[in-house]
Amino acid sequence: MIRVNGVLVSRGEGGVYGERMLGDLRVWDPYRSKLSALYYLGKGIDLEPGMRVLYLGAAHGTTVSHVADYVEVVYAVEFAPRPVQDLLEVARRRKNIVPIMADAAQPDQYAPLLEPVDLICQDVAQPDQAAIALRNCAFLKRGGTLILMLKTRSVDVRTEPVVVFCDAVSEIQSAGLVVRDSTWLAPYHHDHAAIICEKEQADAISS
Amino acid sequence: MQSYWFGDVKDGSCLPCSGTTADLADRLLSLRTSMDRFVLPDWTMARDCGFCRDRADYLAKLRDVCVVIAKRRIREKYQEKDTELLQMVRTLDELDTVINLLSGRVAEWYQIRQPSFSRKYRRTPAHSLVRSIGQRSGGVLGRVTGDVERLSLTRTILAQDVSGRADEVMPNCSALIGGLVAARLLLHAGGLLPLARSPGSAIQVLGARTALFSHIRTGTPPPKHGIIFQHRRVHNAPRQVRGRVARVLAAQLAIAARVDYYRGVTAPEFLERAQARIDAAGRVP
Repeated sequence: MIRVNGVLVSRGEGGVYGERMLGDLRVWDPYRSKLSALYYLGKGIDLEPGMRVLYLGAAHGTTVSHVADYVEVVYAVEFAPRPVQDLLEVARRRKNIVPIMADAAQPDQYAPLLEPVDLICQDVAQPDQAAIALRNCAFLKRGGTLILMLKTRSVDVRTEPVVVFCDAVSEIQSAGLVVRDSTWLAPYHHDHAAIICEKEQADAISS
Repeated sequence: MQSYWFGDVKDGSCLPCSGTTADLADRLLSLRTSMDRFVLPDWTMARDCGFCRDRADYLAKLRDVCVVIAKRRIREKYQEKDTELLQMVRTLDELDTVINLLSGRVAEWYQIRQPSFSRKYRRTPAHSLVRSIGQRSGGVLGRVTGDVERLSLTRTILAQDVSGRADEVMPNCSALIGGLVAARLLLHAGGLLPLARSPGSAIQVLGARTALFSHIRTGTPPPKHGIIFQHRRVHNAPRQVRGRVARVLAAQLAIAARVDYYRGVTAPEFLERAQARIDAAGRVP
């Protein structure tokens, strides 16, 4: 990850959403992007130039545009028509974004478009976020990473965020993924957690 | 056999698709994939069977197909009859807010210019108050009053449009509670499909979110009605039966919304029965 005096940046064409520039580097604001917040908190895995990424809940493509600056290709899945319009515009200028208008909860809708990916980032405001992530793990390479941005308030506003978080972690673990790390995204985002999981190598699964 | 966006693969050999980007999109939309037996493709399969030259070509073609599909889906979504209505209702509600704010401000301002002016003991409705202030003020204040009046006129026209469109999009709901209130219900539900899928109990408290969640969280009394309170049969009902009227009306609206979504035309027999039910609920025993 590129940091300039502690500020997280990415290298690419600016002006996507009026982000601040440091020379030819685009400032990646942790208050606007949960993925950026995760890096500010010293967690997450570094984005590498050769990576293939599946981004679920791409929305207007702001975070996706930063991810695309780092990696080889981003498959950006978003369902709502209004944000997809913006996403298409971002993808028009960034040739390594594949905009997919489909429901992340129904991976069969877009499975024929994908290939195995190294990293899945999920940022969807749905009550069954863990289940959606698990369904999409079919696209993850063995040894690949899943970063689940858990929006606890979208799961259930009545339940304490900690309880929602623990439920999600145990749901992921019982599905056979290894939870490597997890963190709350405070002070950048409230009641949002990031869960970083890994799909184990084949031999570990079979044993 | 596995079907991918670039072609079909069977026993390790790949049959690439030919045709334009639009043809590829058509084929993709007709594919039915089952995740249970799905095997992810390797892009080199597409290269080896001659679909694309190299990795860059593979991604460029894939992007083109995805963009075509996305644009098509957006167009379909926006062509649904209720999409524009949602924007119209939002605009209407925002116009109301703006007009109220500005009329209040104009009166306050005028009071500084005319210290003897007071709104107390006046029976004039807000819009004629604005007009009379406009007639007696020059300069920027006069301009602002003129703008408020024009906005009010726009609001009137828009309200008629909303009502007319609601009659088209949701004829049965509109017949039960009127186009404007029906359109507001649509707005809070987020569209005709979600409204048609809502149970009556949800429709009853649509628009009473704060009260509902305060009830669920802290146990305050539950809300009896949300937007449907705006209908005269609810707000004119005697207090002791108001909850019942709201409940029955909401239950009938749930049916009406389903008829609207799945049939799309007025159902006179249903409306007659529904009206009778709602009338019966409003009778004080």
